[in-house]
Amino acid sequence: MTTSRRATVVAREQVTPLHSRLRLRAPEIAQQAQPGQFVHLRVTQAWDPLLRRPFSVMLADPRGGVIDLLVQVVGRGSEILAAAAPGQSFDLLGPLGTPFPLPPAGSQVILVAGGVGVAPLIFLADALANAPQEYEITGLFGARTASLLCCWLELASRCQEFLAVTEDGSIGEQGLVSEALARRLSAPFPGRRVVYACGPEAMLAAVGRLAAQQPVEAYVSMERWMGCGVGACLGCVVPSALPEGERYLRVCTDGPVFPASAIDWEARSA
Amino acid sequence: MASVDLSVQLAGLRLQSPILVASGTFGYGTEYADLVDVSSLGALVTKAVTLEPREGNPPPRICETPAGMLNAIGLQNPGVEAFIAEKLPALREFGVPVIVNIAGADTEEYLRVAERLGSAEGVAALELNVSCPNVKAGGMHCGVREDLLAEVVSAVRPVWPRPLITKLSPNVTDIAALARAAVEAGSDALSLINTLLGMAIDVERRRPVLANVTGGLSGPAIRPVAVRMIWEVARAVSVPLIGMGGIMTGRDALEFILAGATAIAVGTANFVNPDTVAEVRKGLEDYCRRHGIMRIADLVGAAQQSGRQT
Ligand SMILES: Cc1cc2nc3c(=O)[nH]c(=O)nc-3n(C[C@H](O)[C@H](O)[C@H](O)COP(=O)(O)OP(=O)(O)OC[C@H]3O[C@@H](n4cnc5c(N)ncnc54)[C@H](O)[C@@H]3O)c2cc1C
Ligand SMILES: Cc1cc2nc3c(=O)[nH]c(=O)nc-3n(C[C@H](O)[C@H](O)[C@H](O)COP(=O)(O)O)c2cc1C
Ligand code: FES
Repeated sequence: MTTSRRATVVAREQVTPLHSRLRLRAPEIAQQAQPGQFVHLRVTQAWDPLLRRPFSVMLADPRGGVIDLLVQVVGRGSEILAAAAPGQSFDLLGPLGTPFPLPPAGSQVILVAGGVGVAPLIFLADALANAPQEYEITGLFGARTASLLCCWLELASRCQEFLAVTEDGSIGEQGLVSEALARRLSAPFPGRRVVYACGPEAMLAAVGRLAAQQPVEAYVSMERWMGCGVGACLGCVVPSALPEGERYLRVCTDGPVFPASAIDWEARSA
Repeated sequence: MASVDLSVQLAGLRLQSPILVASGTFGYGTEYADLVDVSSLGALVTKAVTLEPREGNPPPRICETPAGMLNAIGLQNPGVEAFIAEKLPALREFGVPVIVNIAGADTEEYLRVAERLGSAEGVAALELNVSCPNVKAGGMHCGVREDLLAEVVSAVRPVWPRPLITKLSPNVTDIAALARAAVEAGSDALSLINTLLGMAIDVERRRPVLANVTGGLSGPAIRPVAVRMIWEVARAVSVPLIGMGGIMTGRDALEFILAGATAIAVGTANFVNPDTVAEVRKGLEDYCRRHGIMRIADLVGAAQQSGRQT
């Protein structure tokens, strides 16, 4: 059940100059959250900035009653949140959204992260690494430059294989993470293969197009500005490629995780 | 201490509370069932319903502005048949009056939606959303012209025997004139305000933020405009008014009630704080106790008697 509670910051770590990792005491959410779900957070009790901001759960510790968020500063809201000191508290709504569906046992799992999009994939890698079933997990993490590979060790330590990709080549492979994925997918694999991706929309679209040409299941976690976060305002939609149902799907409740084939990548408007 | 009587009469409907939720901000009720005590509402107002399904506008559909937000959802809804089959049964379960907000591209569409809802069970009242582009008027909103507004209201009136509410657009020069036109054409009550037309530009990308270019402004930023319009309309007509526009607290709701609103609606505030409905209720009760008011209905329009005439 979705709850609305105040959550206190218990720890803060400056991961890069642009990213901070916050640990919040939120027992109900820590109990219930599944990888891919998010919290909708009010950064101030004042009315400017007015709307809540969505953030993926990066890790949840049900026993400790805490969740971790990874916050990249892009504007006013994230700046306030990223600077939060231990003891400060925020209104939190969650857990919200549809989680990543877990892959069948024995699958080859490829996690494709772009920048701060790594957050929900760390949670997924954690769940898979601790699952009773065996998985072969590969992490591909792309960013513009080395310093933006925030929390990369949190991902790498939960994968059997890990590759960093930077656009400027400052660390790992040079290029785009979607190119690294294309190379993986072109190597044949006899078993089941499942790709999970979160990052900038251009990256997700590239993943979606690749997956459409390969015998692979792919799931993407999408981003949109949100109003309500609970499916009521229809403000957060993405165009659907499904033959049935509404033309537009809500990121907050139908997603944020969608099968890549459910999104109409060609309709990308603005 | 004696409990405060929050019930109000609205065009023949007895509402247990003057607090409603504004159309389009509360979905079809079920979306907020975990977070809001829906059964405490005076009435639930649905998202706009049209004759056929509408896919709505492409994204981005919303963006934040100072103490407000712009939206251009574009009437996305499943159409009246699917509404009746899929949404109305759950809405009835809440046990509060359901007010269905309806929209149309022309007078004929309003008429047919109203007719269809007339034979459905569990619709307490209709709210006419006249702030949507009207095909016959070349895309102009019928809510901004008295003759077009009167045409829609008088077309729906004979096919809808229950309370008929017209929701006024604030994007007009003389709101009182439109209020009079809506009442003369047969509206039993008026709700106001709908969103104010606005727009935002992404300066880095040098283009409008919303795919629809313009959108409707809501939230605390518009409250003073809304209060002023309630004040003016209360002086122009004698039907009950439902006030809305940026209500975040009980104090805000009181401004509308004192200006002349019989009931109020919480809109954008639901997104910001799902406890708003409960907090507004508590705020109204506390105020009444503090001022020795037994019935909230006694406060309606109380500021109009202050002697500060405009
Ligand atoms: C499901 C979900 C999960 C997310 N998880 C994380 C996370 O784990 N970590 C994280 O750092 N961020 C995450 N985000 C993104 C985060 O919500 C935004 O960065 C944040 O809301 C921006 O708020 P702000 O006030 O800092 O920026 P604003 O001032 O609102 O915006 C800053 C700039 O970014 C642009 N912008 C912001 N949001 C959008 C958007 N959705 N679409 C297009 N342009 C936009 C604005 O035009 C502006 O130029 C997530 C988003 C979603 C939908
Ligand atoms: C996302 C959103 C969707 C809306 N949809 C409708 C609608 O379908 N029909 C309607 O009459 N008004 C609609 N409105 C207007 C609200 O009902 C209300 O009149 C307006 O937002 C002002 O109140 P507020 O500032 O409290 O939100 C919508 C508003 C928002 C923010
Ligand atoms: S944010 Fe309101 S429907 Fe998704």
